[in-house]
Amino acid sequence: MKGKKWIAMMMTTAMALGLFAGCGSSGNTESAGGTQSQENTQEEAGEEVSEEATDEAAEDTADNAGGSKITICTWNEQNPNDDLNMYLQCKNATGIDLEVTVIPESDYSSKLNQMVATKDDSIDVYILWESDIANFAEVDGIVPLDDYLAGSSIDTGDFIPAVAALSEGMGGTYGLPWCAATEILFYNQDMFDAAGIDYPTNDWSYADFLAAAEKLTVKDGDATSVYGCSLPNVQTWWAGIGGAGDQVYDPSTGEMVIGSGAEEFIGDCADMVSKGIMPEPSSDTADLFASGKAAMAWAGSWNIATYGDGLGFNWDIATLPTNKVKYNTLHTGFYTINANSKDPENAWKVIEYLMSQEGQTINSKASGNMSALKTIADEGAWKVESATTIENWEAMTDSLSAGIFGYTCLPSGVTGNAISNFNSAVMGQMTPAEAVQSSSDYAAETIGY
Amino acid sequence: MSNEKKKKRLSPRKKKDTLTAYAFISPWIIGFACFTLFPIFFMLQVSLTNRKLNGISKFIGFKNYMNMFKSPAFWNSIKVTLLFTIIMVIVTTVWAVIMALLLNQKQRLNGIFQFCYFLPSVIPSVALAYAFRTIFGKEAGLLNAFLSLVSGKNVSVNWLYNHSTVYMAVFFITLFTYNTGQMMLIFRSGLSDVPGELYEACDLDGAGAFRKFFSVTLPMISPLVLFNAVNGCVSALNGSFALLYPLTGESGNPDGMTQVLSLLIYKEAFSNMKVGYACALSVLLFLLAALFGTALFSLSKKFVYYEN
Repeated sequence: MKGKKWIAMMMTTAMALGLFAGCGSSGNTESAGGTQSQENTQEEAGEEVSEEATDEAAEDTADNAGGSKITICTWNEQNPNDDLNMYLQCKNATGIDLEVTVIPESDYSSKLNQMVATKDDSIDVYILWESDIANFAEVDGIVPLDDYLAGSSIDTGDFIPAVAALSEGMGGTYGLPWCAATEILFYNQDMFDAAGIDYPTNDWSYADFLAAAEKLTVKDGDATSVYGCSLPNVQTWWAGIGGAGDQVYDPSTGEMVIGSGAEEFIGDCADMVSKGIMPEPSSDTADLFASGKAAMAWAGSWNIATYGDGLGFNWDIATLPTNKVKYNTLHTGFYTINANSKDPENAWKVIEYLMSQEGQTINSKASGNMSALKTIADEGAWKVESATTIENWEAMTDSLSAGIFGYTCLPSGVTGNAISNFNSAVMGQMTPAEAVQSSSDYAAETIGY
Repeated sequence: MSNEKKKKRLSPRKKKDTLTAYAFISPWIIGFACFTLFPIFFMLQVSLTNRKLNGISKFIGFKNYMNMFKSPAFWNSIKVTLLFTIIMVIVTTVWAVIMALLLNQKQRLNGIFQFCYFLPSVIPSVALAYAFRTIFGKEAGLLNAFLSLVSGKNVSVNWLYNHSTVYMAVFFITLFTYNTGQMMLIFRSGLSDVPGELYEACDLDGAGAFRKFFSVTLPMISPLVLFNAVNGCVSALNGSFALLYPLTGESGNPDGMTQVLSLLIYKEAFSNMKVGYACALSVLLFLLAALFGTALFSLSKKFVYYEN
């Protein structure tokens, strides 16, 4: 019996100790998680060798910076090419041991919100999305950058107007945009040639687009073998709605504003779906444009770098042929400093490098996204070299000038719910008016929380 | 002498034994208190606030509950959850019984069949759902390609987006989940314990296969049916998220038809950042699970046969 008692006591003690150890937290433990994540990322990108090669160079400069370590989190994997890896180059240039923690895009916003709620200090530099930056500033989760900017060479007057407007709305500069991505029209030149249609231009009208989509559709009996245009995706639904005249997002109230424009655009898409010009929404994950099953697609400019020279057909880009007004949504993320960072000075040095001419140029070359600093964007580093068939690079600059921060400032649950309704309307399961009403009701219920 | 006094006069040895017993179960009690009881009470507390994911929080009383009962999304979700739970439990239990009956037949290679039937069940639900999402695709789906090949016509059914096919597809997929596989194994072990002489008596009376099943097999395994039904209910209420999120998205496409309560909770907490509201929804889910459990145990008094 004594033996049993001892065993029981030992088990209880071990359990209690385990609980205390498990529930306790420290910055070091969390940082270790971040390191692991970075290691995994680098391993996946096959960077072990390059990392070793540059570590020696970084160590020399790290000594000068006092061996400080800064952690940045992002949703993108690091570029496998050392020359295009802006974080690695930042490490080399500043001597700061920069760790990159990659959080999958689907969980990115919620994970960061949880970090702020728990005053986590394992990340020094957050790249925040448009929908989060104001909330983070509101709870003092990030620090204002105005004092840092006062002594910096970064010219805030050089930012594209949309970025300046967003900062004004928050009463200060809390973040600096890592890039400026837009939405554009991708088209298959070979299919246009085969159909005998002139290539789209940046002043193409909505009517031109609808007519071309119909002509480009190839039918095989009742079924469609090539669609004129793919269905708008989660980003470009909003470009179509904004282009049809709706405000989409009201920055003064933070509300979603859709109405007759949305009804009109949904109605047009439903019409094209019923005629087989556009595919129905489905669980397919394939990119119909890239697989040669759609002649045109409305999509994000970052796809240029993804497609490169790997599509197997000639393709080019144009601005989105929206209906009544030129509209597309700007996409970016903002470099911000965690208010709980133990080393905000070096965190700022990292941001300063990433916003510098060199940092922004590397970023543009790697991602195909423009810099939000106009003078750097004008140099054209964002023209992806592997996209050899693109001639209409002006489509990017034109799109950027028409771009605004729209749906990306809304909670993703609200926009996701709306798109689900739009898809139902396109399938004929509800009318466009019902879809708009249902989406607006849900948005009002959610945003007012 | 009262019982209380008797208890007070426990011998030192008995006392030691009692303390030892408590010490043995204390790891579980500590775990239960920390990881089950505390979260439940914390959830109840947060449901009375307007807590957001970034930590902002203010006490708002029962406002979340009032808003919830006014929300069309909530009522749609309750309707879908009830439908999904009831049908999923029936479909998976019936399928598991059928499979167990087949495997209970004395034939060669039974072990291999059992392994093959159980194999999909050990695949994580998320991976299973992604695989079926590809199979049920409209443009590039394997099922449509197979049907086109067999029929010689172009078949392009939008399985997961059509009102008329989405439930069929989803319930079909539930047949391959871990829960169904586990049920099958439990039924199989139960079937092997049914006394053979009962079937012999049936044979003498000239009973057919159906009569044997409904008069002997089903009553004898009815405690297992109850156990599996309760487990299935809890699994359908809580575990359906892992299956439906990758399959039909957080909005429960099409048109909210698959938006069970667990999906809505996730959407409100992590996409809309409304943690307080999501906790209020979770309280409802908790009550719903309790309601299903109570209902099943009440029914069991009428339908479950206990030999002893």
